[in-house]
Amino acid sequence: MKIVQPPSLKTRKRLIAVAERRLTPHEVREALAIPLTNSEREESLSLIRWFRRRYPTAGERLAYVRRAYRRWSAVQEA
Amino acid sequence: MKGSEFEEIEFFRTIQESGARALLIGRRALVALGIPVLTADYDFWLHIDDITRFNEAVEPMELFPTHTSEEARSRGRYVLENDERVDVLVARSVPTTDGVRVVFEELWERRRVLPLSPNVEVAVPTLDDLILTKRFASRPKDLEDIRLLEALRSEEAT
Repeated sequence: MKIVQPPSLKTRKRLIAVAERRLTPHEVREALAIPLTNSEREESLSLIRWFRRRYPTAGERLAYVRRAYRRWSAVQEA
Repeated sequence: MKGSEFEEIEFFRTIQESGARALLIGRRALVALGIPVLTADYDFWLHIDDITRFNEAVEPMELFPTHTSEEARSRGRYVLENDERVDVLVARSVPTTDGVRVVFEELWERRRVLPLSPNVEVAVPTLDDLILTKRFASRPKDLEDIRLLEALRSEEAT
């Protein structure tokens, strides 16, 4: 198994900047004009169905995400 | 209050009992609807006349506002924080990046109420309205969220 090293702080900051960038109206219109493909829809719905089945109530879903975020944060800080 | 000790259901109960007109938006709203995405913060869109009521309700949980109610009204947003962070939007209306005016009162009228636990509920926008709120900031991750919401909307429409 290949061990993947986490990205450097500099790379992480760059990735965050890219992810948080505010798009232009033109970019937004272009992105919104791309229709969902059937496979994309099915892939998303499969994930949503699993999550709803595993955590039937909104309260359980929110609690799960709090736990997941704590785990993710702990890995980032390690 | 430490983040790990944060009582999420109590937080929502407190908001509900305050009577403040508060819509959960952002990624927590997606999660509540059944879309598994990761997020750190809570995002609310609050009626501009309910800032004080909302702040007083969560103060016992040691969530403190970064701005006074007056400042928040003029800025259109503020933050409540301790180890948790709650971003609060308080504008009467907000334009999307591509120029659509989104009005709080209209979203509030159309809101969906989701049960969290016995006697605790949270109000969220309809899927169409939540998609509009995702076009306020229009970051790449917002557009990804819109596609997930569109998939969910296609399922709920059938």
